[in-house]
Amino acid sequence: MFQNTKCECGHQNPPDTLLCESCGKPQTEVAEDAPLEMRYDGMARRSQKRNPNPLDLVWNFFSSVKIAIIIIIITLVGAAIGTIYPQGNTAEYYEQTYGWGGKLYHQLGLSSMYDSWWFVGLLVMIGTSLVICSLDRVLPLYRALSKQQIRKHLMFITRQKTVYTGPVEGNAEQWVQELAGHMKRRRYRVHTDGTALLAEKNRFSRWGPYINHIGLIVLLLALLARTIPDWKMEETIAVRDGETVQVPGTNYYVKNEKFTVEYYEEKELPDRLKNQERPKMYKTEAILYQCVQSCGEPGIDPVLEPVKNYDIIVNHPLSHKGVKLYQIGYDDQPLLKAVKPVIEDKQSGKVYGPFDLPMKDPQTEFTVGPYSLSLKAQYMEFSLNDEGNPVTLSRDPKAPAFIFMVKGPGIDAAGEPYMYFPLQKDKERFRQDVINRDLAPKVEIRVDGMENVSFTSYTSYLLVRVDRALTYVWAGLGICMLGLLMGAYWHHRRIWLRVDNGVLSLGAHTNKNHFGMRADVAWALAQMKIEVDKDKLDNGGYNS
Amino acid sequence: MSWVDFSGHAYLVAFILYCVAFMFYVIAIAGQKWSNRDSKHHIARWGRTSFIVSSAGLAAHLTFFFTRWYGSGQIPTSNMYEFMSFLAMAVMIAFTIIYAIYRKPLLGMFATPLAVIIVAYASVFPKDVQPLIPSLDSYWLKIHVTTAALGEAFFAVGFAAGLMYLLRVVDYTRKDDQARKQQRWIEYTLYTIVVVVGFISIVFAFRGAGYEAHFTQENISIDTQGQTITNTEQVEYNLPPIFKPYNSHADSADSFLGLEKLQIETPSWMKGVNAGRKLNTVIWSIVAGSLLYAVLRLIFRKPLGAVIRPHMDGVNPSDLDEISYRAIAIGFPVFTLGALIFAMIWANEAWGRFWGWDPKEVWALITWLFYSVYLHFRLSRGWQGLRSAWLSVIGFVIVWFTLIGVNLIIAGLHSYAGV
Amino acid sequence: MGKYRKPIQIVIMLGVLLLGGYAIGEALFASSDSDRPEVGSAAPNFTLLDLTGKQHQLSDYKGKAVVLNFWGSFCPPCVKEMPEFERQYLKWKDKPFEILAVNLSEGDLTVNNFVKDFDLSYPILRDANKMIERRYGLEQYPSTFFIKPDGTIMDIFVGGMTEQDIDERIEKLLQT
Repeated sequence: MFQNTKCECGHQNPPDTLLCESCGKPQTEVAEDAPLEMRYDGMARRSQKRNPNPLDLVWNFFSSVKIAIIIIIITLVGAAIGTIYPQGNTAEYYEQTYGWGGKLYHQLGLSSMYDSWWFVGLLVMIGTSLVICSLDRVLPLYRALSKQQIRKHLMFITRQKTVYTGPVEGNAEQWVQELAGHMKRRRYRVHTDGTALLAEKNRFSRWGPYINHIGLIVLLLALLARTIPDWKMEETIAVRDGETVQVPGTNYYVKNEKFTVEYYEEKELPDRLKNQERPKMYKTEAILYQCVQSCGEPGIDPVLEPVKNYDIIVNHPLSHKGVKLYQIGYDDQPLLKAVKPVIEDKQSGKVYGPFDLPMKDPQTEFTVGPYSLSLKAQYMEFSLNDEGNPVTLSRDPKAPAFIFMVKGPGIDAAGEPYMYFPLQKDKERFRQDVINRDLAPKVEIRVDGMENVSFTSYTSYLLVRVDRALTYVWAGLGICMLGLLMGAYWHHRRIWLRVDNGVLSLGAHTNKNHFGMRADVAWALAQMKIEVDKDKLDNGGYNS
Repeated sequence: MSWVDFSGHAYLVAFILYCVAFMFYVIAIAGQKWSNRDSKHHIARWGRTSFIVSSAGLAAHLTFFFTRWYGSGQIPTSNMYEFMSFLAMAVMIAFTIIYAIYRKPLLGMFATPLAVIIVAYASVFPKDVQPLIPSLDSYWLKIHVTTAALGEAFFAVGFAAGLMYLLRVVDYTRKDDQARKQQRWIEYTLYTIVVVVGFISIVFAFRGAGYEAHFTQENISIDTQGQTITNTEQVEYNLPPIFKPYNSHADSADSFLGLEKLQIETPSWMKGVNAGRKLNTVIWSIVAGSLLYAVLRLIFRKPLGAVIRPHMDGVNPSDLDEISYRAIAIGFPVFTLGALIFAMIWANEAWGRFWGWDPKEVWALITWLFYSVYLHFRLSRGWQGLRSAWLSVIGFVIVWFTLIGVNLIIAGLHSYAGV
Repeated sequence: MGKYRKPIQIVIMLGVLLLGGYAIGEALFASSDSDRPEVGSAAPNFTLLDLTGKQHQLSDYKGKAVVLNFWGSFCPPCVKEMPEFERQYLKWKDKPFEILAVNLSEGDLTVNNFVKDFDLSYPILRDANKMIERRYGLEQYPSTFFIKPDGTIMDIFVGGMTEQDIDERIEKLLQT
């Protein structure tokens, strides 16, 4: 079907244009006198072809704001459903905790909702819609705004939402020039064409929504980028006081120099919470090392070079070249680190030593005074199994025990076994003296004073994170915010007027805040000694 | 007197001033039709007086905020009481900003009661200063919570204006289905507000009477070794128990109409020792709210909407539509910044991830998506007036759910104490 | 967009299809814990020393079936299954096959004593600071990985194994 799309001013418009691109005359027969539909300046939003091919159909689908809104609403409802029960637990958990409802929830796949294929699919659709919707609108809008005609069709002017008509005395062209001067003082950009005028301000605010959309697209792409291998890493490490641990997946090592916890004092707590240990602050005094030599070579200790000293506190992660270490918790079970025991000759009462006995990889031969000790076995958490044999229950020194072969004065030349428990409670629990029956009256290995015992009192839990997409996430959010500010806090205002035979016709349009628009028009007219009540300028119709 | 005590007094002053300001705003708007008055003169004079009073209320509220901050050494936004009172203050700030743009006293008529209700609601929660846990000890607490609350406050003003719009335009003389549907929903919205008021009144009534009941709940769980573990938890009720906690017995209960003997057991699927207390509170609120509503209906003998409607005659609906939209348009970037962007930056500092699909995060996102739908409907699809006003009401329900409902029902990382 | 309209449309739709397809595919096929080795995935490589100080690199065993066992003297089922592995080792020794038993970062003395007590002849490797254990995402002990000659994991067994359990799997492993 042939459609005549030529306006009476002689401009050839694309099909489905609402307002002539040049003079602004309405191109479709809508209700007379009603204020005009000014969205996208009446440009054709997309060329709806008469015979769309499949590509056009898909394109048009995503180009529709209605579809976009529907997708957002589905996403919104989906996201809400995902909060009914906690996410990411096992099938048994849901059934046990929430009964049949929980079971159904898990079966429907709602328990890992936010990374399900269909939720990701919705986000993909939102992304697509953002690109296509914006592109289909911003380009025509840009075209419309960059080549505006100053003299508009009378019908265009009088059917704006803010209008004024009235007589003007004197030379029309001079009048227009004078008004132009006033408008410029209000930071309008003014163009005149004889007795016609176009004053415009804050056009940039029209790009706000599109910049916002660009930001969102960058954000979505950044989120997608996090699935690239090596872009994202997350591991928890436990570092005991004084220990050095490799930061997994990197060439760095972190040492926990010292871990401290501060609790709230009694007077700082309200009555309800008195007598509770409430941690106020906990920190790991950490040193970050970089391995420079023998890295990852088994059996050889890596050569480490310190790169950074930092106190890791909750809310203050250590950050070095994209690797971040967060304080996420601690454990305050004290573990023995090393003891410095002495040997007493029970007969003479003489004491020899002390000697160093670390819990981790101790040496096996000791010479202390006249005695020589040979370490035969070590148990980290001593216990006896069902058959009555000594075993260890874990690899952490929770109840350490050592078996020495002791040689020395008054002892069998081949040596006699001596079992040593550094912790007093274990010594009693396992009855060290009974085990050592023959040797017990002759020698005793013991620790004199707490200064000869060293503990690690805390284990610091650190979260290791690498997230290379983070920069792009912030960039996306920044762009998004910039767009929002531009679009929300500035308003594009335009005033068109023409004087025909001593009659002024003025129309004004803004995309937001018609109050402000009317105030501007009333002010401008007042400068020209035309007093109008600004509410009277309202031509009715919708706000926007 | 400590600074914290002093702040409590300032809070009370703010509350009273808001109440007075509300009455003045009502006089300013509804009084236009009173006999022998020049309507323009009346509204100008009373409007100014009302604004001065409500601003004095805001000043008292700010005094409360800063003295409590100074007295406690931490920004008062870290428990429910502090957050809600801050939200009320943010509503008044948002109102003041919108008022500065439009200079319409009629907005005060709906913004001040909103502030009054939130201020009173805040007082329901425990008022003691609670020391921060380490993850909250960050300057982002100040930035994130205040900005998010301000954004929500603008949405609240948008809601107030939207509701006013509905009350202004819905025609109570019409009897067709369409009009009846609108009337019913407005009535339901008003009823909900009455329930909130009912909740506040009932809590204060029983608090004034010093009501207490204590329950001990036994929780039986089976650990991984197949051992049965029983642990007991105590809970205190400040409302007479209609519902007692699941599997619990009363240690002590003051008597009230014999209700303490009734005691229906809370269903087992409602987890936690506090579930019974929460359910009990919800039931009491509905009972009290419904009673209050019934009394109001008996007094007026017509729907509450129809009672308010005639007082709205002097108001230009188009102004209301514009103000509602403007408030939301101003609030949207603030909300985005505070509730999403700042939240993400902080989450990244504190927990090492900027987004974790925590229920509160998800609901903030839902709120944001909803208001973006609102803006798209309005800007691209031309949804204005009635439909836009309804969206602003629904939006505020979502905001409220994000603030209260998530803590009441779902909880998660953002569990404020005392809910 | 004028005359470029169509090419632009095609480019954008292709981009959407690629990125969107990748995103949805990632959600569909991504394993829950991406880094952890699973049945069918390649066994992460490592280089560790045995008790004699000899280096063992997993990739050197390509072409051979490998049974990778993680054990500790503190874990009773590990202790129980060690002799069973020893018998199986002797049985299959002449085939292209190896057992590598990684100790869970215990002390020298403990490991040496243990190996002496049980008279084990297959290589015992020493992990340090739980590095390799972490790389294999171990949660329970013992855990045993059956690695095909091409370096992919055929089976993962968590918990103590009987001789029959081991035998069946080695036989299957040698058939591939």
